Amino acid sequence: MAILNRGAFAHPSTSLQYHTGTWRVQKPVHEHRAAPCHNACPAGEDAQAYLAKIAEGRFQEAWETIVRINPLPAATGRVCHHPCEGACNRGEYDEALAIHSAERFLGDEAIKHNWPYPMPPAPLESAPAVAVVGAGPAGLSAAYHLIRRGYNVTLFDELPEAGGVLRTAIPQYRLPRDILHAEVQRLLATGMKFEPQKRLGRDFYIEDLQRDYAAVFLGIGNRHDREWSVDGVTPRGLRSGLELLEEWVALGSVPTPQSVAVVGGGNTAVDIARVLKRAGTHEVHVITHQALPGVDVPPEITMTAIAREITQAQDEGVIFHEFRGIRRLILRGEKVVGLELVHMKKVPQADGKLLTKAFEGTETVLHVEQVIPAIGQDVLPFGVEGLLENRPFFAVDHNGALAKHPGIFVGGDACGGRGTLSRAIGDGRRAAEAIDAYIQGKELPQPAPVQVVPYSQINLNYFEHAARVKTPVLPLEARKGSEEVEGGLSQTQIFAESQRCFSCGNCFACDNCWTLCPDSAVLKTTELASDGSHYVFDYDYCKGCGLCAHECPCSFIVMKEEL
Amino acid sequence: MTTETISITDLRRTQPRFSGIESGHRACLGCGQALAARLVTESAGPDVMIANATGCLEVFTTPWPESAWRLPWMHSLFENAGAIASGMEAAMKAQGKHTKVIAMGGDGSTFDIGFQALSGMLERNHNVLYVCYDNEAYMNTGIQRSSSTPHAASTTTSPVGKERMGKRHLKKDIITIIAAHHVAYAATASVAYPSDLRKKVRRAMAVEGATFLQIHSPCPLGWGYNDALGIEVARLAVQTGLFPLIELERGELTGAMPLRHPTPVSAYLKMQQRFSHLFKDDPRALEELEHLQAIANHNIEIYRLRGDGIDALDSEGSDTVRRGGSRWA
Repeated sequence: MAILNRGAFAHPSTSLQYHTGTWRVQKPVHEHRAAPCHNACPAGEDAQAYLAKIAEGRFQEAWETIVRINPLPAATGRVCHHPCEGACNRGEYDEALAIHSAERFLGDEAIKHNWPYPMPPAPLESAPAVAVVGAGPAGLSAAYHLIRRGYNVTLFDELPEAGGVLRTAIPQYRLPRDILHAEVQRLLATGMKFEPQKRLGRDFYIEDLQRDYAAVFLGIGNRHDREWSVDGVTPRGLRSGLELLEEWVALGSVPTPQSVAVVGGGNTAVDIARVLKRAGTHEVHVITHQALPGVDVPPEITMTAIAREITQAQDEGVIFHEFRGIRRLILRGEKVVGLELVHMKKVPQADGKLLTKAFEGTETVLHVEQVIPAIGQDVLPFGVEGLLENRPFFAVDHNGALAKHPGIFVGGDACGGRGTLSRAIGDGRRAAEAIDAYIQGKELPQPAPVQVVPYSQINLNYFEHAARVKTPVLPLEARKGSEEVEGGLSQTQIFAESQRCFSCGNCFACDNCWTLCPDSAVLKTTELASDGSHYVFDYDYCKGCGLCAHECPCSFIVMKEEL
Repeated sequence: MTTETISITDLRRTQPRFSGIESGHRACLGCGQALAARLVTESAGPDVMIANATGCLEVFTTPWPESAWRLPWMHSLFENAGAIASGMEAAMKAQGKHTKVIAMGGDGSTFDIGFQALSGMLERNHNVLYVCYDNEAYMNTGIQRSSSTPHAASTTTSPVGKERMGKRHLKKDIITIIAAHHVAYAATASVAYPSDLRKKVRRAMAVEGATFLQIHSPCPLGWGYNDALGIEVARLAVQTGLFPLIELERGELTGAMPLRHPTPVSAYLKMQQRFSHLFKDDPRALEELEHLQAIANHNIEIYRLRGDGIDALDSEGSDTVRRGGSRWA
């Protein structure tokens, strides 16, 4: 056999001796950034994370991912206004994911299968104790997160049952009480000491709590109806929207005149309007100086009620009068027989602020037998006069710490400018973190600036169009009483919906980087790599071309300058 | 959750796929050919041997005394990959072995210099898969035009000037010439559609006899685009109709990837420096743009590329990814 001259052969794979990584001036790194749904959630839920678990068929882990943040998913899945869906990147591509349906499904499954809350060992008896006043969403959330942080928690409420507004004021057709009851009972069983029928300012006082507990959380809501009059005139027997709503929820009936005007653009207004329609009122009007929700309507002038609730109310026959205000009550004696309406709109002023203006010459008359204000509530000062100092709401910082009163924290509707279930739950969680830091005498870490993956950074070439799952809705003729209007979805439907998720800012193991690297510098791992992906960069060979980053469908790979 | 630390060397050794080319090769950043060659060896499997013509692939994988190859590999000359592969195949046959021979070359060695050896190989119907990495010029020697260079592309030997707007002639229709040899299987593929590429390699491997695969392999240096955009460029070549993905059996068209939304050629051209003169304020530029659009339209027409609604395997569906990496091929 002829002897090969030098250079005529080489051993296989010997090129591995040469590290092409030295050529690199930028390197790809896996970087988890927030999905828009995560960033938009007032409670702080990471929908992308639990949709990923669903997509892997790990339903219980998906639920655990939610309840590490929000312990009431069966309730929020139904009642929340779901800003996550408004922010969803997929909304720009075809339709946003039905995140609320997934959340609701997981909440219901947890109740059905009695999945235990993922709790650390029970707090030691010697652990500091924290008092939580008000067993509504904010209080329940704070109590739960405090137990998770190792504190003993006593939860006080003036009513015999926990749940707060979810129980007293959300109509059953939005939140069935068996679901609420089951979820709240399961939550109470995570180790908090529940003291029902104990009212602050009657059965115990702030001073007692300050003496007996290391810290206090107040989630007492806003239960005091704002004064309402038109030029100082109020009709006889005026009742507020919230008051009537609570009556309907508790008794199942409300007075039903032939025609009613509800004043306000929030959820209470829409809820009481729908309740009156169900109770038998022939004609229900909602008067608001805000706008009905629409694609081109700026959020600062839009009604604050949930858009899909408004749509359902319209389907049910509620008549909305947008951009209208009440100029005058038309009274016969002290009884309302009509309203003088006028066109109104928020108009920017010289200082840039929006001010609601009425336009002369646009007055009309609306004949109604009753007018119901639903214009909002303030904190009822009973028992907290010293803390409120005549303000309508508590003055708190971002974490709920009450100014000038160290050790007292407030969350939920008692803080003003809230009005949503998810925000109350988020307040409770943030306050628990702040209480922990307060008791430990530590500074709270500054929250890192959140980087959100924009739509423009999703590589759409790798996705196919797919329609959003349709949620079943109760037919109009069946919407008489307390039957739930929106239905749930099956496991198959939820699983299919989760596959539509773009997985913004997170690896979903599509193999693109591994398949497309010209230098075989991306290696696949069978188990999850330490950075949460399924791939590892071999920087000995990566030349830094950036192809993997550009072709990553989820924008999970970013190029970082080197040198 | 348990944590286990494994060395990157072990991880490389236990990758759940075969790759015939290892890291450490000297291809440029974002090389389309390096990717294409790896995808071919990945789907052809380990029981193959390679006859490599002169060109980038040969140069960057075998800097003496190293080799990036994990397969038996042979290089002789620019012009004779077809002949060398024929000889290797005959030797295998004589020894009663069934190891498949794959010949590899660039467009220079396939369309021009090694064409007669290739034609002979096809005519004698050797059991060889010939893979042409088409980057549309002699990139290894400094971007000289080849007969594969598209019309109006600027290269060092078809520069833009007073007389010409880049290459005067047309891209050679090599796939039709190959198909005219009455081979059992000839196809075009693109690195932008790896599943489609793998499927075509496997189909060719299954044929006993001569087969041919032309893979569009973008070249960041020769075409003049950002290193990170190779797949994007290659995808647009397909979606515009300028590089149709087709399959020919015994000379007959048997498959074509439908275009869901044919994209105007300007989207593809304006990403590349070699076509930048077509976007200057020059009446000839507009004419050449129209010419290239007409070529794309012609391809769409003769290969019947226009899709009929949404198809999971069309130009937009066939690169869809799924959680967990399950692709269709």
